[in-house]
Amino acid sequence: MKIKFVFLLFIAFYLTIIVRLFFLQVLSSSDNKSPYLKTNKLYPIRGRIYDKNNQSLVLNQNSYQLYVEPKIVKDKDMLINSLSKSLEVEEASISTKLDMTKYWVSIAGGLTQEQKDKVDKLNLKGIGFDYQTKRFFPEASLSAHVIGFLGKDDQGEDIGRLGLEGFYDRDLRGLSGFVETERDILGRPILIGVQQRVEAEDGRDLILTIDKNVQEISKKRLIEGLEKYKAKKGCVITANPKTMAIVALVCLPDYDLEKYYEFDENFYKNLAISDLYEPGSVFKPLIVAAALEEKKIKPNDTYNETGQVAVGKYNIKTWNDKYEGKISMTRILEKSSNVGMVYIGEKLGKNNIYSYMKKFGFGKNTGIDLEGEAGGYLKLVPDWYPIDYATVTFGQGIAITPIQMIRAFASIINGGYLMKPYLVQKIISKNKTTEIKPKIERRLFSQMTSDIIRKMLVSTVENAEAKWDRPKGFKIGGKTGTAQIPIKGVYDVSKTIASFIGFAPADNPKFLTFVVLYEPQSSQWGSETAAPLFFQIAKDLIVYYNISPGQ
Amino acid sequence: MTGLIIANLFVVISGIVISDEINNFEQKTDKLHKANLTLEKEVAKLSSLNFAQIQAKEYGFENASAPQYIDQLKFAHR
Repeated sequence: MKIKFVFLLFIAFYLTIIVRLFFLQVLSSSDNKSPYLKTNKLYPIRGRIYDKNNQSLVLNQNSYQLYVEPKIVKDKDMLINSLSKSLEVEEASISTKLDMTKYWVSIAGGLTQEQKDKVDKLNLKGIGFDYQTKRFFPEASLSAHVIGFLGKDDQGEDIGRLGLEGFYDRDLRGLSGFVETERDILGRPILIGVQQRVEAEDGRDLILTIDKNVQEISKKRLIEGLEKYKAKKGCVITANPKTMAIVALVCLPDYDLEKYYEFDENFYKNLAISDLYEPGSVFKPLIVAAALEEKKIKPNDTYNETGQVAVGKYNIKTWNDKYEGKISMTRILEKSSNVGMVYIGEKLGKNNIYSYMKKFGFGKNTGIDLEGEAGGYLKLVPDWYPIDYATVTFGQGIAITPIQMIRAFASIINGGYLMKPYLVQKIISKNKTTEIKPKIERRLFSQMTSDIIRKMLVSTVENAEAKWDRPKGFKIGGKTGTAQIPIKGVYDVSKTIASFIGFAPADNPKFLTFVVLYEPQSSQWGSETAAPLFFQIAKDLIVYYNISPGQ
Repeated sequence: MTGLIIANLFVVISGIVISDEINNFEQKTDKLHKANLTLEKEVAKLSSLNFAQIQAKEYGFENASAPQYIDQLKFAHR
């Protein structure tokens, strides 16, 4: 009897095991993996960003997220006190996050190796670290608007926002991999178990056309300029006029790349590519070049500047309401004569004016490789009034972005080619380097027109009504601009956008620089604010590029 | 039978040893990866304009002097 009882007990015991195994291995096999089977996501390293001389602008650095497992913590107050001292944060800040009812709580992210080591030394129970990487900027916020920043998407994953981080996010982010491996209780791989590994593919590196030295010069001078001329904001863009490779792009105010989240989103706006404004007189050379190309004028043709010009019910006058009588086309640019430009506009004709606005690409994005570009809007022909054809000749009544302006200007001095502006010249992945070549959108002017307009612009600088402290012995071409700002359909005379666009050396331009200052207070004129700032930058660039006089 | 047991033991022990080595290499790779990032960061810091400015200030090279160009030569000097 006893033997039978023991026998039945064993049978019942084995049956229980068999039933349990059947449940685990057959019925629940699809949703219950082996507790020894560990699957980890392999994160790719985000691509790095270098300037044109392979100097790093954005790298990655080790970073740690500190977490606490409250159920393991014995002395909450001691933990808070120790972490507070070690991380140099307020106790209240840690205390608020430390919810003792939870199993896992994140306390602080973005800790450096040094901070982690410091906390490690405390030997606290119930804390741990998750490894992450975060962006490191050796040049701090030198190129904030160009670079952009990393935000989070709906799933909490990193995603590039604005600038290059936004535009090249898919190239920079790479592809995640995973490792699935059976491990023993000590975490060692079980060789006869499941071992599967798909490597992550790191993000691609970007080599820019930006030169960090020119960027530094531009930013330093722009900061000085904003203070000196008491302007609200400003931009400096420098490009190679032959290729429209952007060498420097700085707009202020900007933001701290490390702490972008502490800034209002207005600071994120890159004025150079997303702010529409009326360019004013820097626009005049474009119309003159179009008239030269269409053979409607010659540089030495004369115009009799006698006084104000009436267009419909409006009167157009020169900036100082002074008139010189018979003047050449070159003189119209030198003295920035609005009435002279209306004359050139009439010679060019309405159809040609509109056609060139389209050919210059106004109203459309330039296609620059930065996220956040605005293309603006070019009115359709039926919406153009006679006054519009008159005012557009001196850059009022049309809204464009600074990048559109510098691109159009480059086309008149580089032999007539409208180029696509770009900032990335190479994309480097593990196995391949992709070179990005300058792209010609279309040719607008002949070499002859380009040569003539360059000479006219040199003369404009040398014989302008304002006298500047120019680098001696160098031929520099350029044009000032002072645009009024329309507020609720009316121009406010006290508020202007002052600008200067110039290039050097004039015969074979190495750089083209566009300076824009918004609402300068010391003087409203571009000739007294943006122009001196341009010549200061030009002096620095002439030394940096080692350009000798006489060129 | 004994042979099989010995072979089995050998396979199990070898497996444990190799697993240990794999684990070791994984840790070393991870350490090297982190060290690489740290070194890359240090090198970048040392070649940054900010660091150059601090050094220049320390050695008294703060003010750049204006370059003096010679006049354009009209003929070669002997």
